[in-house]
Amino acid sequence: MPVQSAGPRLYRSIKFKHLVRHAGSSAESRASNIALNLTPFVDMMTILVTFLLMVFSSDTTLLVAQKGLELPIAQAHDTLQQAPVIIVTKSEITYQGQLVATVDSVLRDDSPGFKIDALFERLDAAAKKIREDVAMGHQPKDLLRACEDAKQNIRAQSGKICPDGLAILQADESTDARLVNKIVNTAKAAGFDNLLFAVKNK
Amino acid sequence: MGAALGAGDKKSVNVDLNIVPFIDLMSCLTAFLLVTAVWVNIAQINIQPKGKSRDQAQVQQDDEHVTLSVLVQADRIWVGLSRVNEFQDIPKKGDDQDWDKLESTLKEHKSSTFFADRSDLEIAAESTTAAPVKYQDIIHAMDLAVKVGFVDVGLSDPQGLAARPSL
Repeated sequence: MPVQSAGPRLYRSIKFKHLVRHAGSSAESRASNIALNLTPFVDMMTILVTFLLMVFSSDTTLLVAQKGLELPIAQAHDTLQQAPVIIVTKSEITYQGQLVATVDSVLRDDSPGFKIDALFERLDAAAKKIREDVAMGHQPKDLLRACEDAKQNIRAQSGKICPDGLAILQADESTDARLVNKIVNTAKAAGFDNLLFAVKNK
Repeated sequence: MGAALGAGDKKSVNVDLNIVPFIDLMSCLTAFLLVTAVWVNIAQINIQPKGKSRDQAQVQQDDEHVTLSVLVQADRIWVGLSRVNEFQDIPKKGDDQDWDKLESTLKEHKSSTFFADRSDLEIAAESTTAAPVKYQDIIHAMDLAVKVGFVDVGLSDPQGLAARPSL
């Protein structure tokens, strides 16, 4: 490869006068070292990282994103807490990630029982286990205190509700109300007297 | 940007910290956090299943207790008071329910003597194959109830409402 003469070079052919450090009147032509001021850049990065880390502290990890599931929109700002999750997509009903029934089959079912049997079995088992855990004290102290308060009809703070009888319903916004009624009735029959409807903030 | 601390450099007292690794770390961390951050805020509406369901016996009505009931149908919303049996019909406005009217109605009830010191309310949705009611409408009604001050929202079966309009 033949040696070619160098092309235009920065600070010689292309003069970045604003970047060149002015050490003196005669130094301008000689100066070739520049010092970028990185302080604002580092400041910005630090603020950005801090902000993003704060965003991370949200409770949305309690819910698993489902394909095609659009949560209803509401103005409520109460935070979610850990509880068994019933997910209703446009086609399926799942409990803790396991398929329980299809939406069509539940809507077609006009049996007088008025509850979803497959879901009831799972919820019933879960409710018993949670009740045992609470009775044995295998829950965080603040939640156990909330259980004691609930017995005295003291309203619990958002995010600190007694886990006994607490479940989350994560349903698509277009879900038929008949299906919601059936799920609520099933949950009630299984002992879940407190339901948290997951919503998206406006 | 290297450190200029040298044994032989007796004149220089300035130290240049090498911040390149720091910037690298911050850049990687920012990119990672931006990719994995969740931008959707998820909240909850707390409800208590109320009323009677089809497989339950008749719920014992408390005669002393007036209950505010909201029935959401596909084309209208009913707001009723048990015992008194007063119902207010809020027809659909265009393609959507008249949520403003529902909010003002609930506000009126909240400021009345019956409910000034109470926060309970029951909501039901009557949906059929021909006239379905969406979950979003139930949530909207509940959201308005909570906003007005009825924070103890109960979701009931349409047949289990304490005050149900007879059509």
